[in-house]
Order: sequence, then structure tokens, then C-alpha cells
Amino acid sequence: MLTYSAVLAEGSNAALVTFTIYTLAVFGLAALSNQLLKSKSFLSEYFLGSRSLGVWAFALTFAATSSSGGSFTGFPSKIYTHGWILALWIGSYMVVPICTMGMLGKRLNQVARLSGSITVPDVLRDRFNSQRFGLMAVVLIVFFMSFNLVAQFKAGALILKVLLKDVDLFHSVSASAGQWTAGIDFLGNDPGYLVCLLFFGVAVIVYTTYGGFHAVVWTDVMQGIVMVIGVLILLPLALNAAGGLENATKELAKMTPPRRGLATVHIDEPMSQPLQVTRETWLRMQRDEAGSERVFRVAQPFSIDADVRDVHAVELLEITTPAEVSRIIAGDVPAEFDARLAVSEFQGSDENFGVVTVDTTAGSIPAVFHRGDVVVVDTKDGKRSFVVAVDTPVEAGGKIALTVTEPTTVPAAGTTIEATATKLSIKSVSYKYGADKPGVYVTGPGPSPNNDVGFLAFSIAVSFFFMWAISGAGQPSNMVRLMAFKDSKTLKRSIFTVAVYYTAIYLPLVFIFVCARVIMPGMEAEPDRIMPEIAVYLTNNVGAAWLGGLLIAAPFAAVMSTVDSFLLMISSAMVRDIYQRNMNPEAEEKTMKYLSYLCTMLVGSIAMVVAINPPDFLQDIIVYVGSGLAACFLAPVVFMLYWPRATETGCIAGMMSGFGAHFGMYLTGMFVNGSFFRPFQLFNFNPIIVGLFVSFLVTYLATRASAPPPEELVRKYFYRKTDKTNS
Amino acid sequence: MSSQPAPDREGYELDPVFVNSRREALAILLVWFVCMLWAVPVSYMLGYGRDVTPENVSTVMGIPTWTFWGILIPWLAADVATTWLCFVFIKDDDLGQAEDELPANEAVADGGNA
Repeated sequence: MLTYSAVLAEGSNAALVTFTIYTLAVFGLAALSNQLLKSKSFLSEYFLGSRSLGVWAFALTFAATSSSGGSFTGFPSKIYTHGWILALWIGSYMVVPICTMGMLGKRLNQVARLSGSITVPDVLRDRFNSQRFGLMAVVLIVFFMSFNLVAQFKAGALILKVLLKDVDLFHSVSASAGQWTAGIDFLGNDPGYLVCLLFFGVAVIVYTTYGGFHAVVWTDVMQGIVMVIGVLILLPLALNAAGGLENATKELAKMTPPRRGLATVHIDEPMSQPLQVTRETWLRMQRDEAGSERVFRVAQPFSIDADVRDVHAVELLEITTPAEVSRIIAGDVPAEFDARLAVSEFQGSDENFGVVTVDTTAGSIPAVFHRGDVVVVDTKDGKRSFVVAVDTPVEAGGKIALTVTEPTTVPAAGTTIEATATKLSIKSVSYKYGADKPGVYVTGPGPSPNNDVGFLAFSIAVSFFFMWAISGAGQPSNMVRLMAFKDSKTLKRSIFTVAVYYTAIYLPLVFIFVCARVIMPGMEAEPDRIMPEIAVYLTNNVGAAWLGGLLIAAPFAAVMSTVDSFLLMISSAMVRDIYQRNMNPEAEEKTMKYLSYLCTMLVGSIAMVVAINPPDFLQDIIVYVGSGLAACFLAPVVFMLYWPRATETGCIAGMMSGFGAHFGMYLTGMFVNGSFFRPFQLFNFNPIIVGLFVSFLVTYLATRASAPPPEELVRKYFYRKTDKTNS
Repeated sequence: MSSQPAPDREGYELDPVFVNSRREALAILLVWFVCMLWAVPVSYMLGYGRDVTPENVSTVMGIPTWTFWGILIPWLAADVATTWLCFVFIKDDDLGQAEDELPANEAVADGGNA
């Protein structure tokens, strides 16, 4: 019988084969798409697919672009971590297709045809005959999308790295890359990430540059089909493995969240060689006096030197539900214990832990920080007391990183040392909401490791109903697709198709990953891997490793389809909106063609290079960009489409105020919550609600206060000659 | 605020695509609002702040009761509403043709609408 690690390795090799086939198919589609470019108006075809998308192409490109890699990594990981409450979190997807496609689709498509626009800034510019409005839209799109592009490149590379981590070929290529890049600081110190970024980046840049919009759309269609087939196959396998949904829900009702902490791991027989302990490893603690058994999963990989008997400050995750512990020990779930190792001590009951970096040049610092010493440090929140977890000698220099625990009560024992903190990275041991509370995974607001009101408070649930359905309509990447469908019939059938598609994807995903909690405990150590691990595990159970590979390819394909659309949006903004509309309106088609290729390739390459050393907070940037774009674009676009009285002044004011209000919430968060990416939540609502409210209000008021728009524009976009006049 | 005489639009009528699209957008907004009023409060009332144990967990077809009545049923209702909007309510309007869709000699200056 295969061990669990061997099963994963086999599944990952299947994934590699699937990736190869998938990538070849993508290049094939790009080549076909390039043929279309030769027979049609280049710019319209390259950036908008000649407004000819049929039902399947339009529906699936819309669905795939909207559901980025998050749908297949972040969402499953959230269901796993917080339980059934994710059904409410994703609930507004019941109306996302009709809202995001139906509210603006038909009218936006018509106005784009009337004006001959092929980009979103194009429409804004032509609708008001305003060069400055068009340029402002370009600046905002390039600003937001560039950050997002870098973030998505990083996300793509990370997903690929996670998925290939058990593939031998990947390790040997990474090792070679590590040798070649040794000593080049710019290329970072993670050759595996570099290899994945290069593979992912080059693939996306080449097929997007060569094939343009149609290549992107056809890739989306292929990916959309992979996603839905994957989910529909996984559903019965997961239900079967969990003993049915009823059983899974009852098991979840027993569960209490796991506990993180620092442990000392004891080795009975010291190793002759150093040993690497991975996250897949499970450990036991000897039975306590009450006779109860405790099991742990490694939360951070660690190494054990030769001839060592005890390793301190090892980060572990303790399973706290007795029924789960029994199933793990009985071998009913995939868990591999390392019998050579045992947990001898675990500090995880009422303490936080982590790393505190102290300044050794200030105050009276000892030569060695001993385990058990109490360090009182000055932080911006005041003085905090920590207990040193590992003996740490002080070397000459300015700073030293100490592994510490932070007890809830001030410790009395040990030497007390006053110090100044330069950096704190302290993690919560217990969940702030839901610890030791059975039933928390089947009720609201759901368990949360870092929020004491739970995962989804009522006001946040309302915010999400706005966020997905309403702000989704305000995304320029969605708007450009609404300009590309063929006719009204196509739009109507596509909305219906996407509605069925989302119903078939999102609710089953909740069922599958609720079951995954029961099938595969302890994944909180690495929740983003739950999708590939459960896919491989379940498909191997039925002897279909190739299917696991196909399912593993889904998140990779999903992030690819998001990146390629962003890439084209930035490139179109530069080529069409800046060069052709403002610098050289008479540019020949041949010039535009080569410029489009060059620009797409350059933008992609620059984003890839920046992603080698991306800034921190990338996931937060993705959230900021998504909501920021909606706050800027939704109100002006709604007013320009549906209100003949709308003016350039009103819409520009609405766009800027939406940007300002949304940005203001983030800026206030920097002062109130200590970080730009922990935005201030006015009345507990997400900044997107504030941004949209201000933007709509200001657009209306500023329009009312400004002179009416030119009559010829109103006639062109809102009126038509009567039949009597025509005759 | 400026008050100007109403412009003379004799010989023109409101574009039916605009009129229909606006009516459809308002109907869609109403559907969104009804779904929110259904899903969030029902989920909150049936699913929040409850002490649940394996013995008293309430389910319908294996799904927690709050998820069934607060998410699954409105989701299916939203699908029915979407289907009705798509195939009954939303009109098949002619969206016109852009210049880039026409052969060069047929392209018209006003986009072919008026």
C-alpha cells in the first residue's frame, strides 16, 4: 500500500503531465487566435475579439475572469478554516451573474458600438467627448492594474510552487537554478519560486502577446470547463469519503478549532545525520496522568541536528477535538506519525508566541538570553512581557531575534530584562473566537483565529452582498467583456449559463470542503494546500491519479485567466488610449499591430521582473485594487449609461471622490489600526460601501450643479430619429 | 444650478435600447435587494449565536437548517428569477454595429444608429 506522501508524489507527477498538456493546448489556442488577427480589424480583434463573442465564449470568459485563483485556493482554504459560514460569505453569488452582466451589459455594449470604443477609457472619453476624462480613466486603470498584475504573477508562481512541491523534476530544476543564481541578490533566495515565476510568466506573456483577446477567451473557456468538471467529479467522491453530508455536518458540530503553540520535541535515539521534519509529519505526546492522548501536526518545518535529543521552540498545531484525535490515532484519516519523535512539552494553552526582535545597543542586554528569561519590551502599544523560549546568545551588532511566548498573565519567574522592540511577529495560540466551543463550524459567525467577533459578523455579511454583486459590476475587466458579446440574445443566454455554472461550482465547493474537514484534519498548518491534497487523495482512492492532476491544474488555470485579462487591459490602455487617441490618431494599422505586441510583451515582462522581489501585503493589494476600481468606475459608468443629464464634470467628480473616500478609509486605518491594509470600517462596513456611497452621491450632486451636457451627445446616446422622420 | 430651456427634440424619440436597459437594470437591482433581504437576515436569525452540539444540530438533507433556508433555497429562487429575467423580461434589442464591424465602404459616421 502506498504511503500518504507517496500518494501525493504520484498525484503531483500526474499534475506535471496535466500542466504540460494544458500549456501546449494554450499555445495551440494562441496560434489559432493569431490566424483571426490576420483577417479582421487588428485593434478591435486584438483587444476586443471583434465584438463577436458567442454564448459559450462570453459566458465562460466572464465566469473564469471573475473567479481568479482564489476560487480554487483561497475559497476552499476559507471553508476548511471557518466551516459552513462560508455559504453565507459566498451567498451573493446567487445574483452575481444577473447583476454583473445584466445591469450594465446591454447598454454598455450598445454605447461602445455607437462610439466605436474598444476599451473602457475609450467609452468614457467618447460618451462625454472628453479627452481628460479618458486620460484620467487610463491613469487609474494603469495604476490599479499594475499593482494587481504583479500580485497575480506572484500568486500564480506561488500556486505553481505549492502544486509542484512533490515533483522530483521540479526539485532538480530548482536546485540547478539555485546554483546559477547564487550570489545574485536581486534574484532572491528562493530558486523554486523563481523557476515557477519564470515558467508561469513566460507562458502567459507569450500566449497573450501572440494571440490577443481571443486567445485569452478560448483559454478561459478551456479553464472554465476544467473547473466545473473537476468540481462535479470531486463532489460525490468527497461525500462518499465523509460518510455523507449529514455525517460530515454532525462531525463538524463536534469540532473545536485547533491550537497553535511552541513545543519541545524529544528524540529517543539521536540521529546520525541531520533530519528535516516536514509539515506532513504528525507527532504524539505521551499519555498524561488522565490517560488522554494528544496529537500534533508540524506547523512549520524544522530540522534536527545529528546527536541532538531535544529540539525547542518547534511550531505545532494541536488537534483539540477528542473524536478527531481518536480517528487520527486509529488511522482512519491520512496522517503519518514519526515514531522516532515525541512531543515532551507544549506551550499552547493560554499564550501567544512568535519572534520579537530587540535592539541590543539600547539598555543593559546580557550576553545570553536564557530560556525562561522575561523580556519586557517597549512597543507602540506600550510595554509587553515575553518569556524567552530558546537560549539565544547575543552577537556583536544591533539586533537579535528571540523566539518567545507571551503569557496572558505577567510571569513571575526568570530574570527580567528591559529591551526595546524593533519588530514583533507574535501569533495567537488560541482562536480569538470559537476556541473550545463545539458547534462553531456549523453556525455563524464562524471561528476566527484573529478576530474576537468571529469570521463573519452581520455587518460584514451585508458588505459581502454588496461586494461581490454590486462592486463586481464596477470592475473594468468585467466591463470590457460586456463590450465584446455579439448581440442581446448572446447576453441573455450567457447570463443564464453563468448562473447555472456558479450554482454548479460554488455550492458544491462548500459541500466538498466541509467534507474535507472531516476527511483530512490538521490542514490549518497549510490551508492553501487543501484543494490539491484532497483532490489527490480522493482520486487516488478510486485509482484515477490523472484526474487528480486535472483538478490540481484548475487553480493554476484560474489565476492564468485572470492575469492574461489584466495584461491586455494595461496594454490596451497604453496603445489605444494613450498612443492612438492622444499622440498619433493617424497611426497605420501595421504600426499599431507591432506596438500592441511590443507593449503586451513589455508590460508582462516588467511585471514578471518586479514580481521577483514583490512588495509585501500582496493579497491585501489585490483586495484594495478590486474594491478601489469599483469605487472609482461604477458610479460614473452607471450615470453615463442611464442618465441623459450626466455630465463630464459630475462623472469626474464621482470618480475622484470614490477614489478619495475609499483611499481615505485605508489611510485612516493606518492611524487608527496601525496598518494601511487594515482599513477603517465606518459603522463596521467595508470601505467599498463607503466608496460607492460617496461616489454615487457626489456624481449626482456635481452633475446637478454643472451645466447640462451638449445636446448632440444626448441625442447620439439616448435618442434616435422617429420612424416618421426617417421616412 | 443653471436652468435652461428644454432642448427641442422634435423628430426624435428615446432610444428603446436605453429605455429597456434602464427598466431591466432596475428590475435586476430589485432582485438583488430581495435576495439580500432574504439570505442575510434568515441566515442570521437561524444560524447566529446558537449553542449547537452534535445531538441538537438541525439539518435538512445534511445541510445546516440556516444554510438550507438562508442560502440554498434563495439561491435556487434567484436562479429561477434569473431564468425568468433572461428569457421573458429582458428584451432582444438590436445593439447596432460599430464601424470596425462594417466593411470599409459601409461605415457610417454616426455609428449607424440614428
